[in-house]
Amino acid sequence: MKNWYLLLISLMAALALFLILSLFYGRNTQKSLELDSPIRIILKSLDGEPMDFWDVVNRGIDEAAREFGVQVVVTGPRFEKEINDQIDIINRAIELSPPMLIVAATDFKKLVEPIKRANKLDIPVITVDSGVDSDIPVSFIATDNIEAGKKAGEEMKRLMEGNPRKELAIVSHIRETATAIDREAGVRAALEGMNIIGTWFCDVEQEKAYKISLELLKNENLGGIVALNEVSTLGVTKAIEELGLSDKVIAVGFDNAIQELSYLESGILKATVVQRPYNMGYLAVKTAVQYLSGESTTPFVDTGSILITRDNMFRREYQELLFPFGQ
Amino acid sequence: MKINFVPGTLEARIYTIFTIMVFAAIFIMQMVFFRFTMDTVRSSTLENNHTLLRQLVVQIDSYISSVERITRSISGDRDIQNFLENDGFVDPGETEQIRKSLNNYIKAREDISDILIVYHDGTVLSGELEAEVNPWVSVLDMDWFRGALERNGQTYVSSSYVQNIMAGRYTWVVSLSREIISEWTGESLGVLLVDLKFNRIEELCRSLVVGAKGYDFILDRDGNYVFHPTQQLVYSNLRTEPVGEILALLGSHQGRAFKEGDRYFMVETSGLTDWHIVGVSHDSDMITDWKYVQITYGFIGLILFLVVGLATNRISSGITKPMHRLQDIMKTVEKGEFHLVGEIKATEEIRELARDYDIMVGRIRELVAANTREQELKRKSDLKALQAQINPHFLYNTLDSIIWMGEMGQNREVVKMTSALSKLFRISISKGQEIITIRDEVAHVQSYLTIQGMRYQDKFTYLIDIDPELHDYPILKITLQPLVENAIYHGIKESEGKGFIHISGYARDENIIITVKDNGAGMTPMELEDLISGIETAPENRPKLSRQGMGLRNVHQRIRLYFGPQYGLSCESSLSSGTIMTIRLPLKEWEA
Repeated sequence: MKNWYLLLISLMAALALFLILSLFYGRNTQKSLELDSPIRIILKSLDGEPMDFWDVVNRGIDEAAREFGVQVVVTGPRFEKEINDQIDIINRAIELSPPMLIVAATDFKKLVEPIKRANKLDIPVITVDSGVDSDIPVSFIATDNIEAGKKAGEEMKRLMEGNPRKELAIVSHIRETATAIDREAGVRAALEGMNIIGTWFCDVEQEKAYKISLELLKNENLGGIVALNEVSTLGVTKAIEELGLSDKVIAVGFDNAIQELSYLESGILKATVVQRPYNMGYLAVKTAVQYLSGESTTPFVDTGSILITRDNMFRREYQELLFPFGQ
Repeated sequence: MKINFVPGTLEARIYTIFTIMVFAAIFIMQMVFFRFTMDTVRSSTLENNHTLLRQLVVQIDSYISSVERITRSISGDRDIQNFLENDGFVDPGETEQIRKSLNNYIKAREDISDILIVYHDGTVLSGELEAEVNPWVSVLDMDWFRGALERNGQTYVSSSYVQNIMAGRYTWVVSLSREIISEWTGESLGVLLVDLKFNRIEELCRSLVVGAKGYDFILDRDGNYVFHPTQQLVYSNLRTEPVGEILALLGSHQGRAFKEGDRYFMVETSGLTDWHIVGVSHDSDMITDWKYVQITYGFIGLILFLVVGLATNRISSGITKPMHRLQDIMKTVEKGEFHLVGEIKATEEIRELARDYDIMVGRIRELVAANTREQELKRKSDLKALQAQINPHFLYNTLDSIIWMGEMGQNREVVKMTSALSKLFRISISKGQEIITIRDEVAHVQSYLTIQGMRYQDKFTYLIDIDPELHDYPILKITLQPLVENAIYHGIKESEGKGFIHISGYARDENIIITVKDNGAGMTPMELEDLISGIETAPENRPKLSRQGMGLRNVHQRIRLYFGPQYGLSCESSLSSGTIMTIRLPLKEWEA
């Protein structure tokens, strides 16, 4: 064809036009991450009460998914103790080859196996709240539980000044859980040099924590109990309330169940360390998006913890943390 | 046709300039339009968002004012006023009555969480029948209580907070409180508190949001958050809002909208609550379709460019194509051919040019033809002049011979030679005619041979053998004589022994062939070649030639001039076997 070269020049110029236009205006539009399939998020439990820890984590997840324009699917076992269920759910999620797995591990050791499987299939994994005994996860988004434990311990130390009873006890939830181990380590670090008579495990059963506490409170020298999670705290405070020992035995707990806040207000519980579950969910998805966009991520993201006492519980900035909207 | 894409060619130049210009024009246009479209879309979106925001303010206000009416009607209620007036607290029955009537108000609306009446001593009378008062709360320190007292009977609208006044209940509320003032005495009787579940306002804020990333939040008069969809992120600094800027904006008069990063903030203040409602729109939400717009623009630009490009190509080739044709035809002039362009499809200017060219070529053709004719005439006259020249040497020798014979008293020989000379001259002149009959030509050469024969006695013999049927055919005069002269001087004279000249003539294939053959010295191939090339070459190109050569050339050229290029003289010879000259003429009758 006689006009081949004209056509060529035309096309080239047109292409240049197109490209320049795209380039010129491309930077005005914020690039959102395009994923083939949704990010799979497997939490510890889904069947909890509204407003409990995992429900708030979920809200954070939803907000981040909305902000970064990514699709997420949140699943999980009904209860936290159903470890095998969670492993099955992870295995099923791996079959769908999602771009990213976010897992709140119900067990520090047993969850390593499915996460290794995901890694073999090149599915990156982020752990949230509770990690696993492995280097595979690209990031771990959780409360720094040692730090949280220290906060509880330091408050306990402060409150114990002038208390004639000198012995201290720790009521923990599960022996082999990372959160329990870390929190206890933090508490013990802060209470260095004080008389800790021991750690008792309630196996995440409030009734058991209550009974343990009743036994502990028979000790006339016991001046304080640090409870390491919600269930433990509720068991301990219930026992203290029933025995009317709130003036003599100082209770410092964890988490922010409504009942705990009520105890906090009435002075039975002196302080509680709360996590930021909303931020946990939000930052898990945000970190996933950063990782998938090729940005650098850090292996550990601390979502922070706050010591709540009767004095600050109604402060504006903590109100929504303690009493989420929509209650 | 070959295209050489050199910027020098007209086509390339037109195309290049057009392309660049069109490109620039489309590019600029696209930029301007795109910008314009973007700005228009953005500002209209912002305008819409602003309208929505105002609507939100109106809705919040009307919602709050509807609740305010309730507070008015409760605080003005006769029974309640009487009850408070008479310190009815002492009577449990009456207290129960009042609480029930408050409870009815609560039941009437889903969004009211509680209605309370608080005495100045801090006693709380709740409309929630089952609930107990939280013993840890000091009511008199609450913002809503103090706010109500400060306003002297006007409604105080609190910010949002967690209401903990009832034991074991923590509810997000916005409180409307007002001092209950006695209608009779004007004394303060207590404070009425209506707690609104915050859900309604939250729902309103969440529902009137534009785009996937847009959101609304509310600040109270001091810049604290009444509502923010992601308050936890805000309080943990994972997200920041330009609260300071917003408050500064409200103080000044610079309008109520600004942009920070890719977020647009608009602020409307609710008159009833003193809340600043901030609408945030995200740029990426406004430009969700801009990718599409961009592609559309690009595509339109592309098509436009192609269309214009093709059109330009058509125009430029429309101009240059006839010009190329013109050029091609003009180039043939270099080869000496004068072709006419004729009628061509082109613009008026080119057609005009072609017409003018045709006229010019026509002229040139005529001139060339005239020139050729003149040249021919000139040559003919030159040749005529040449042929008319009788070798003076020959004449002198002949006359010398006659004198010599006269002195010897050889009268018969004198007469014979003189009459032959006379005949020779008569035919030579032949009334100035160029064409004569073969008969005359033969007589002419006969006379010549007679003279030469007498001069070179016993040197040669000859035989003229022309087909008598040919005698009346025309021939150019003095064609044979130079051939015979050549045969004598270069053939016979140069060789030993007696020579023989044989002239023969016959017709063959519409041609008359006359050969002059001698048995003289002949020529070497080189000499022959030299002679032939000398004969063939025009005299103006090779003026120097022997006299004999000139004579032969003269014959050859004249024959060709008169009868055409296929006729003329040819020559074959070899050393010592003589030479044969052949004349080829058309077998053509006389023309009148």
